[in-house]
Amino acid sequence: MAVNPEEMEVRQDVVRRETAETSSYEAGAAIRQSSLWRDAWQRFSHNKAAVISMVAFVLLVIYVVITPWVVPYDPNNVDFSSAYLTPTWSHPFGTDEFGRDLFLRTALGGRISIGIGFAATFAIMVIGIAYGAISGFAGGWLDNAMMRFLDALYGLPYLPFAIITLAIFGTVNFWTMVVSLTIASWLTTARVMRGQIITLKENDYVRSARAIGARWYRILFRHLLPNTLGVVIVFVFLELPNVVLGEAFLSFLGLGINPPKASWGSLAQDGYQQYLSHPHIIVIPSVAIAWLILSAFFIADGLRDALDPRTREAA
Amino acid sequence: MLKFVVRRVLWTIPIILLVIFMTFLMMKAIKGSPFRKSERAVPPAVLANLNRKFGLDKPWYTQYFRYVKGVAKADLGPSLVLRNQDVNGIVKEHFPVSAELGGLAMLVAMLIGIPLGIISALRVNTWFDYIGQFMSNLGYAIPSFFTATLLIYFFASKWQVFPTNGWDSASAKVLPVLALALFPLTYFARLVRGQMLETLQQDYVRTAKAKGLRWRRVVVVHVLRNSLIPAITAAGPILGGLVTGSFIIENIFGIPGIGRYYVTSVSGRDYSTVMGITVLLSILIIVANMFVDIMYGILDPRTRDVRS
Amino acid sequence: MPLLEVENLKTYFKSRRGDVRAVDGVTFAVERGLTLGIVGESGCGKSVTALSVMGLLTPNARIVDGAIRFDGRDLTRLSERELEDVRGRQIAMIFQDPMTSLNPTLTIGTQLTETMKRHLDMSTDAARKRAIELLEEVHIPNARQRLDDYPHRYSGGMRQRVMIAIALSCNPKLLIADEPTTALDVTVQAGILDLLEELREQHEMSMIIITHDMGVVAEAADDIAVMYAGQIVEQATAEDLFDRPEHPYTEALLGALPQLEGENVREGRLTAIRGRPPDLVDLPDACRFAPRCPYANPNDACARHNPELREIRPAHLVRSAHPASERAGALAGADA
Repeated sequence: MAVNPEEMEVRQDVVRRETAETSSYEAGAAIRQSSLWRDAWQRFSHNKAAVISMVAFVLLVIYVVITPWVVPYDPNNVDFSSAYLTPTWSHPFGTDEFGRDLFLRTALGGRISIGIGFAATFAIMVIGIAYGAISGFAGGWLDNAMMRFLDALYGLPYLPFAIITLAIFGTVNFWTMVVSLTIASWLTTARVMRGQIITLKENDYVRSARAIGARWYRILFRHLLPNTLGVVIVFVFLELPNVVLGEAFLSFLGLGINPPKASWGSLAQDGYQQYLSHPHIIVIPSVAIAWLILSAFFIADGLRDALDPRTREAA
Repeated sequence: MLKFVVRRVLWTIPIILLVIFMTFLMMKAIKGSPFRKSERAVPPAVLANLNRKFGLDKPWYTQYFRYVKGVAKADLGPSLVLRNQDVNGIVKEHFPVSAELGGLAMLVAMLIGIPLGIISALRVNTWFDYIGQFMSNLGYAIPSFFTATLLIYFFASKWQVFPTNGWDSASAKVLPVLALALFPLTYFARLVRGQMLETLQQDYVRTAKAKGLRWRRVVVVHVLRNSLIPAITAAGPILGGLVTGSFIIENIFGIPGIGRYYVTSVSGRDYSTVMGITVLLSILIIVANMFVDIMYGILDPRTRDVRS
Repeated sequence: MPLLEVENLKTYFKSRRGDVRAVDGVTFAVERGLTLGIVGESGCGKSVTALSVMGLLTPNARIVDGAIRFDGRDLTRLSERELEDVRGRQIAMIFQDPMTSLNPTLTIGTQLTETMKRHLDMSTDAARKRAIELLEEVHIPNARQRLDDYPHRYSGGMRQRVMIAIALSCNPKLLIADEPTTALDVTVQAGILDLLEELREQHEMSMIIITHDMGVVAEAADDIAVMYAGQIVEQATAEDLFDRPEHPYTEALLGALPQLEGENVREGRLTAIRGRPPDLVDLPDACRFAPRCPYANPNDACARHNPELREIRPAHLVRSAHPASERAGALAGADA
């Protein structure tokens, strides 16, 4: 005979349930066996801001990828007769001082900027997860040492760190930008991952795994890391805009991608030189950057709410 | 409690040494002697002399130790490019400007951002909150070079209320401070709002209400205190953000601060200036973080007993 | 006149799917100097009832109907400021999780004295003196030194005692204890219950104890109300309820208690009540307990209409179409 779960409650569960009773309340709803991911997806899809942002983000990526294949203009074609056009049908974003179509250039710039963003974010995740997992899992003196080292790295301010790294490389191109921005940005991820691993380590299922003799790599890869997946995904959408912004700042200062190569930062630098006379040139890449940052931010928020069932909306 | 403070202070020293070491290593890794940047090739004898004069011919660990000794005596060494100046002088001249810019921006960010966050939380889901959220998201997403450009375009160029650049008069300071303060402002507002909302859900707030305390007291004594503490600890990363932002803002507004100087020094391969400024900024950030940690320990009694 | 009279209280929560009828027509009274126990499983609405009385509902909940009369005044008609005057002073409440119910960044002393300074206008010194007395009353050793400690230095049981001390500090007429022992170890539980009883007598208070634990209520309550799915399904004196329970649910609850004596004690399993409580958004017109009731069948009236709360004996109310005495009587009648 099925045992009524409430009767056999462990103390904590009762406390939790009672607290749930006095807040927003969904007891008695159909009990459908559903995995964490299905639940999370459900929650995410109900979050209007998150869904809209997801759509916006995808649209941006599509624009960036497709436009250069579709638009007939040559990005390097100099045509002074069409210089400085404001947005029209044939040039939705107008043209710059060399008559180059900005709709196309912004997409090209986006490829570079978002490309750097994705590549660097991926690298940040790999390094951050590895460092944090090793530190958190190992514990003891190794953890201590690794954390102190991290503390020291934290002292180096972001932009100077990236700038110096670029200077060490000597040249500036896509990959040196990726590496520099990665090196300057992996710290937070590492710290958070370590925190996650440490918290998860305390769980009973880890103890049980140890008790039956599971080796450390099984515990780490089979039990701990998969449970950090949620946090990792949220972090991807948090770090991506940071990297893109970093690239934009560096390029804007002239220390990153420089004209005539297009990135959102270099386009902004271009636009800045003549913002007084032709403001639209700087508006476009700025809006593009803001669009990316905003959509990524709301997606990250939505993901965070969806994956952490304890987060409650403001009443 | 004292033990905690002392321990925290002592920990900063090895961290600072490590940072200096890493900066030093990085500087050494940058290829290209600073003396080679002019078009005319510098004769090797002169080059050797210059190297010897600035101690660049000594082994790296000697250079490192000399440098650390110097830092301890607050001497950052001579500039390798501007022969008649030393880094200290450069710093002395330009750093106060940046400090003032950053300080004012931080002040504005806190004075406006924190109350905004508090009120938004107390009036959650009202139009005030929605508008606040909206503006805050905008401020967060729009890159600061754009904000600065916008500000200059409207307030300086079109309406001529403030000058377009410079740092000499009070009115010249308004626009750059605002432009720099925007991002930290939204950060504070959002952080405080989130913290307050979370605190308001806590059981002990319910207990305070159940005791019949006046709502004002509940908010001020129970909610605010516990919400603002985490907001203060965010000041650390925000400082980093200010440094980054100041590079851009100084560049745009033509402000003679070290952010702007840094950029030129890097391209000019002026090792010691770059290193000096980097070290200075790093020490600043590390010390600021130390203060924040100590403050956190003072304000939240739980961490004191647990922290290493 | 009873100290507290709750009449047809209805408290609903807003949710995406509709109104959650957490408390759906609850009526009871608390006499002066007596203890009322409210018993029921998780989600039955007992805590919400208490929060409604105190006016501490979250913004997504509201009292839709009913009256809450305390000492003659209807609390539902009071402004927030007036309620603030009642809370802590006339009615006090302690909550179930002592670990989170105290502010971790303020000393115990501050949290004790602020209530007294607020309601009784005491000076800090006088309040501190009284605070030490209160801590001694709740058997906290070294009260004077511990006054300036922070909550994290106290154990769970001690924190609950502090909560009790805070609740009593202004001599309220009514104390509401919401699951006061649930979050504590069994060994500590008895001590808290004893303490509550001792203090209740001393301060001449009335008390409402809310719990899911029949054992707690057997010891502490004079009268008991059993709640299910937002309504009271049985109400009687403690003695009568345990002696002769009427509602099938109450019987099941009592049957589910682990026994130490009696036949078959070591062989049998704990009797659990099969099924789950109904969805409070989508309630049927029928008796809410019917799906889990061993006596209900689809032809009965209770399959179509929710039974009313009726007096089956003096001072014993039940909301069921199949109360125990009528069952036995029916069988006896059939045999006769």
